[in-house]
Amino acid sequence: MVAHLIGVLFDGISYGSLLFLIGVGLAVTLGLMNFVNLAHGAFAMLGGYSTVLVMSRYGVPFFLALPVAFVVSAAVGALLERTLYRRLYRASHLDQVLFSIGLTFMAISAATFVWGPTQQPVRVPSFLQGQVQIFGLDFGAYRLFLIGVVVVITLALGYLVERTRFGAQIRAAVDNQQVSAGLGINVDRIFCLTFALGSGLAGLGGGLGIEVLGLDPTFPLKYIVYFLLVAAVGGAGTISGPLATALILGVFDVAGKYYVPEIGAFVIYALMIVLLILFPSGLFGRRA
Amino acid sequence: MSELLAIENVTSGYGESVVLDDVSLRVNEGGSLALLGRNGVGKTTLLITLMGLTRLHGGTLRWRGEDLARLSTHERARAGIGWVPQERSVFPSLTVEEHLTAVARPGPWTIERVYAMFPSLASRRRNFGGQLSGGEQQMLAIGRALMVNPSLLLLDEPMEGLAPLVIQELRGIILDLIATAQTAVIIVEQHAKLALALTENALILDRGRVVHQSTSAQLLADPATLHRFVAVA
Ligand SMILES: Nc1ncnc2c1ncn2[C@@H]1O[C@H](COP(=O)(O)OP(=O)(O)OP(=O)(O)O)[C@@H](O)[C@H]1O
Ligand SMILES: [Mg+2]
Repeated sequence: MVAHLIGVLFDGISYGSLLFLIGVGLAVTLGLMNFVNLAHGAFAMLGGYSTVLVMSRYGVPFFLALPVAFVVSAAVGALLERTLYRRLYRASHLDQVLFSIGLTFMAISAATFVWGPTQQPVRVPSFLQGQVQIFGLDFGAYRLFLIGVVVVITLALGYLVERTRFGAQIRAAVDNQQVSAGLGINVDRIFCLTFALGSGLAGLGGGLGIEVLGLDPTFPLKYIVYFLLVAAVGGAGTISGPLATALILGVFDVAGKYYVPEIGAFVIYALMIVLLILFPSGLFGRRA
Repeated sequence: MSELLAIENVTSGYGESVVLDDVSLRVNEGGSLALLGRNGVGKTTLLITLMGLTRLHGGTLRWRGEDLARLSTHERARAGIGWVPQERSVFPSLTVEEHLTAVARPGPWTIERVYAMFPSLASRRRNFGGQLSGGEQQMLAIGRALMVNPSLLLLDEPMEGLAPLVIQELRGIILDLIATAQTAVIIVEQHAKLALALTENALILDRGRVVHQSTSAQLLADPATLHRFVAVA
């Protein structure tokens, strides 16, 4: 019983870590640029396909394929930010939603055309397969690895945002774009770099997540609700909010599907509605 | 004295609407100008037109002989304009120290110098912008603009809403800045006499137009004009 509970908690936390890794970029674009980017899942999918491609085509090992996924998604993110997204920062949210949904469908069609509609396999290194015993309990090795990676990235992200000059400039731009620019901060460049960073992290999450979430062309639609919940409930423009939300979301999703399978898929929606009623501007929201 | 900034026949506003109408003025290196006028005549609009935050409908902005209007907002700040906005607009999510480091550019102004000028900021360096009193926020807004190492400081009603004691302190500091530093200053003030006592030259705006231009001493000696165009003297 207790072992089950710990198992569910563990699975939920690793699932939530992954949701955070992918969704944090969406929270940042929402908070910094006030942009509703429904195509965010497509950057995660791009990372997933990059991982599969460089591993199967070029024989790149898994641990090198992950940074490649990050770089590819970040580069494509930067490119699209410069050419398309930035034109819509001042547009209405409806325009942004229509644009990014359009982009999502294009990504889905392109992925289907290139890779076909089937699930893509990924072969993780053998020592990440199977179980690890800790205190007599079995834990999935890959899920432990996943949690470890996300812990490291979260610490690095926290350091970047809270301790560096670049992080202070990001926060200044979130607080007040005009005054930031009026004091010499290149807000356009900050937007581009943070968009690229968020896309890159989504790409990394897409590569890491193949083993957990799967990878097929419907990925960006299938999971966008989760990413949006992480951003919206967590509070746009923060890191701790999306992190807490993603972990809650992961644990309750896994627990719901395990303990009450008949209604399991609905548990998180009920939970998120309650959270949004209790915290309308997000768990750690700065914006009212 | 060499010319630092020249505004010639500038018409600007917000979107289609026009606020400033055919405004011209000149500031020399190290010079100081009091920009006066009643509420809503366009003083702030003039300052933020320099920062590129309004729509420039016509006229030219010249900075050390070059076209300022070509530059984006952050490039103007880096070219040497230090802006202290009317609402102060300190950043709630930055500490005092981060305000200074985030915008710092090389030059004579350093964190140590700003702290020496505003000791109360030094003692609150770990506090966030929103936790400061009105006077401290104003000091932070000025210190932050100095960290850009500007050749021209734009002060938009720095005394607004402050206690008399704080005004006294700031007054001394601004006088110091004008007298010792090579920084030129444009100061917008409701306390006209205070601003005139601090500056060399004066300009009055009324409904977006320049209605008076003279030395500050001349305007101080002209109560009729002051009374006509400026709220309280
Ligand atoms: N962002 C804006 N959009 C549209 N109109 C504006 C904007 N800001 C100011 N205005 C208008 O421009 C005119 C001049 O305003 P401005 O703020 O420049 O006056 P001001 O002289 O600085 O007044 P105050 O002494 O109250 O600060 C006013 O009629 C004001 O309503
Ligand atoms: Mg004003």
